[in-house]
Amino acid sequence: MDQEELKNITANKSVDARGTACPGPLLAAKKAIGEVNSGEIMEILSSDEATKRDIPKWAQKKGHEYLGTVEESGYFKVYMKKK
Amino acid sequence: MAKKMTIALFSGSLDKLTATGIVLSGAAANDLDVDVFVLLQGARAFKKDIAENTDELKMAENEHLRKEFLESLEKLKVKPWLEFFKEAKELTNVKIYIYGLAGKVWGGEKLDDFVDIADDICGIGEYVSSAEEADINLFI
Repeated sequence: MDQEELKNITANKSVDARGTACPGPLLAAKKAIGEVNSGEIMEILSSDEATKRDIPKWAQKKGHEYLGTVEESGYFKVYMKKK
Repeated sequence: MAKKMTIALFSGSLDKLTATGIVLSGAAANDLDVDVFVLLQGARAFKKDIAENTDELKMAENEHLRKEFLESLEKLKVKPWLEFFKEAKELTNVKIYIYGLAGKVWGGEKLDDFVDIADDICGIGEYVSSAEEADINLFI
């Protein structure tokens, strides 16, 4: 997905993990994914640089679809679709 | 079938306990089954009267940076080490076994002498047998 498409996505579930360091965002994502239905989209807001690699890799490993990452001011949003 | 990790947790130091808790979080996120075998110094740290008393625990390395370490963790909103273990247990199949002899060295005879998240007292044979069938084995 390109940046424009990502910016227009309305996520079914939003997880705000800003202000926590690794593994905070990953654990928040792991907890929240159970509340998302198959095919729905979850976004994770994080200000932790390590999350940029960690969450996409985790999502792919678990069979979910990593859609992309959008940079915002001082944080970023990682988008994934649940398998 | 879930992949399995075993951890031989020898250390009872503040920095290595924190590191172990963080590795456990990664294992929990990946749905690994984890057996933690708490060995000598670790068993002391898992005693009820010591686990949450950071004054009783030293750093494995750079003791002179202890204050900086603790202050940084607080600033970064990183939980105390025991909280990582608790959270990992809630998220995945984590079992924590205190090695019997290690417990006895520090006056811990029964399971009740250790923090609530400890599942049982074990012998060393069980650790080796568990490590033998694990996909990942760490000694910390």
